[in-house]
Amino acid sequence: MLDVQLVDRGIRLAGRMDAATAPGAEVHFERLSGLADVDMSALEYISSAGLGVLLKSHKRLVAGGGGLRLVRVNPHIAEILHYSGFDMLFEVVPADGRA
Amino acid sequence: MKLSLSRELSELQRIVEARRAYFAERGLPASLAYPVDLATEELFVNMIRHNTGTREPITLELNAVQDGVAVSLTDHDVEPFDPRLVAPVDSGAPLAQREAGGLGLHLVRSLVGAVHYEYRDRSSKLSFLARERARA
Repeated sequence: MLDVQLVDRGIRLAGRMDAATAPGAEVHFERLSGLADVDMSALEYISSAGLGVLLKSHKRLVAGGGGLRLVRVNPHIAEILHYSGFDMLFEVVPADGRA
Repeated sequence: MKLSLSRELSELQRIVEARRAYFAERGLPASLAYPVDLATEELFVNMIRHNTGTREPITLELNAVQDGVAVSLTDHDVEPFDPRLVAPVDSGAPLAQREAGGLGLHLVRSLVGAVHYEYRDRSSKLSFLARERARA
């Protein structure tokens, strides 16, 4: 189960972003513009399918001068972002607030 | 624990529920939950997407071992397809060269180490061992 909410500065994810749920999130990411935050504090799990949605959206926004910033990232998710090399492609702000 | 899975992405939820129940029953460490869930998902989805010539269910097995969990996925009545032979993704490439997709097996290897492949009697079996010490 994945809950996706559009919030003031971007989008908030809660639950599990896997191959079954990630496609449904894509339509919400398509609504973002400029610089947008992805609040991951309640995201329990992300697989390559979810990473694909983040990457596609980030590339679209970067092409227009913006981009995604991944914020309030918990250690499990941070590990996945590191292994995938996404920590070199996105600004990642961990849950403890340190950059 | 043995589970027969339809070739549907909606089965991912049932996989996680069964994994949670098995971990609780056997007192397995929570630290292994993420690697097992991710590696199982990536290999299961890979089988669904590449082995399209069959409608047979996929068999998932989890077995607690001394220092971790042994996991296998068996796809029946299929042609050989070893996902380990797919060219690895360059996780250090710049944004312009990155494409969605292709990260699955890279993440599996990062989290659980080696994946084993066996093809016998028209069945493809992928297996891995999730252990604390296997993680980077």
